Amino acid sequence: MRLVIFNGSPRYKNSNSAILIEHFLKGYNREVSNTVPVYYFANKSQREASGKIFSQADTVLVFFPLYTDCMPGIVKEFIEIIAQQSLSGEYKKIGFVVQSGFPESIHSSFLEKYLKKLTLRLNCEYLGTVIKGGVEGIQMMPAPMTTKLFSQFENLGKYFGTNETFEQNILNELHKPYTFSRTHVRIFNLLSRFGVTNFYWNSNLKKNGAYGNRFARPY
Amino acid sequence: MRITILDGEMNQAKNDYSVFIDDLVLLLKKKHSVDYYHINQMELKYCTGCWSCWWKTPGECSQKDGAEHIFRSYINSDFIIFASPFMVGFTSSALKKIIDRLIVLLHPYIQMKMGESHHNKRYDRYPEFGLILQKEEDTDEEDIEITNDIYDRLALNFHSKRRYTRFIEDTNLNDILNETCNI
Repeated sequence: MRLVIFNGSPRYKNSNSAILIEHFLKGYNREVSNTVPVYYFANKSQREASGKIFSQADTVLVFFPLYTDCMPGIVKEFIEIIAQQSLSGEYKKIGFVVQSGFPESIHSSFLEKYLKKLTLRLNCEYLGTVIKGGVEGIQMMPAPMTTKLFSQFENLGKYFGTNETFEQNILNELHKPYTFSRTHVRIFNLLSRFGVTNFYWNSNLKKNGAYGNRFARPY
Repeated sequence: MRITILDGEMNQAKNDYSVFIDDLVLLLKKKHSVDYYHINQMELKYCTGCWSCWWKTPGECSQKDGAEHIFRSYINSDFIIFASPFMVGFTSSALKKIIDRLIVLLHPYIQMKMGESHHNKRYDRYPEFGLILQKEEDTDEEDIEITNDIYDRLALNFHSKRRYTRFIEDTNLNDILNETCNI
């Protein structure tokens, strides 16, 4: 299979999507020796060439972050580009990996329906959508906090290398939690009172000297 | 009342959709203050995910490309109209480009709503919105449901509410006027 990966993160190579792709490919390359090309929609020339790149692939995976409850604008532009050329009826397999800062997968579940319908609209085979929440901050987390996540993505890639599809059990695990339980909400609200839940934001605000202005309303 | 229209049309030529939106703007302007933005005719950049708006210059986007006028209009409006032809079963990339950047109007802190995490308000109030769309040849009920669901999620995160979804093919301007102004 000619596998191509598109990274749809506006953050380009410094994105969390890039880290997930790196671990996915680490696992994939244990089974398949081919180098898999990775293209970036954040790079305008690569985005504009994405139609041609897409047409030359047999299997396409698109990794991207959830932006305002949907795909980022650059990913929608890609979708419009490939839809224009899908009239040629080239059959492909397409899968998606959607990651979000929000920990719960419910935020991405409505987009998943769109991605499935999109793939069918393009007359392609839908490989599924991996949804992983709670990804924001992984670049700052100490290694023990990301070990499980990276291992899951390596295993996802390894399985994909052999079977050309996502392993359902890993996919199910990554989807958790769909929403928070009442107990989780109580714990969150308790931690929130002590400012623990804002630690990530506050530390960055302070680092940038912007903490005192954090509630600004410029408009 | 003040109404902001964010138009995601990407076709430059005059067509049924653009005539409908032009007529709607004229009708609304008879009695209301209307800020109309044709996104594709502005040289707006995509959100880069830099989060300057959350942790460097809170509430302000680092890209000064005219989007700041939209942010000001949006948050000070009584109602928002998101308008777009369907493009591959959803609203256009041009419209998504500006919606991504509306994140500047929210606060990064998280609160719990119905067992879900959502961003806190930065401003006291956020306007409700309506969707005005044009169907594609193959638009079906599932496309409409998916689009409504995604915009309902946007409403939830933006402390707002989707009040209506209308299609230019089967809606008259006065109905939209009534639904838009009936707060």
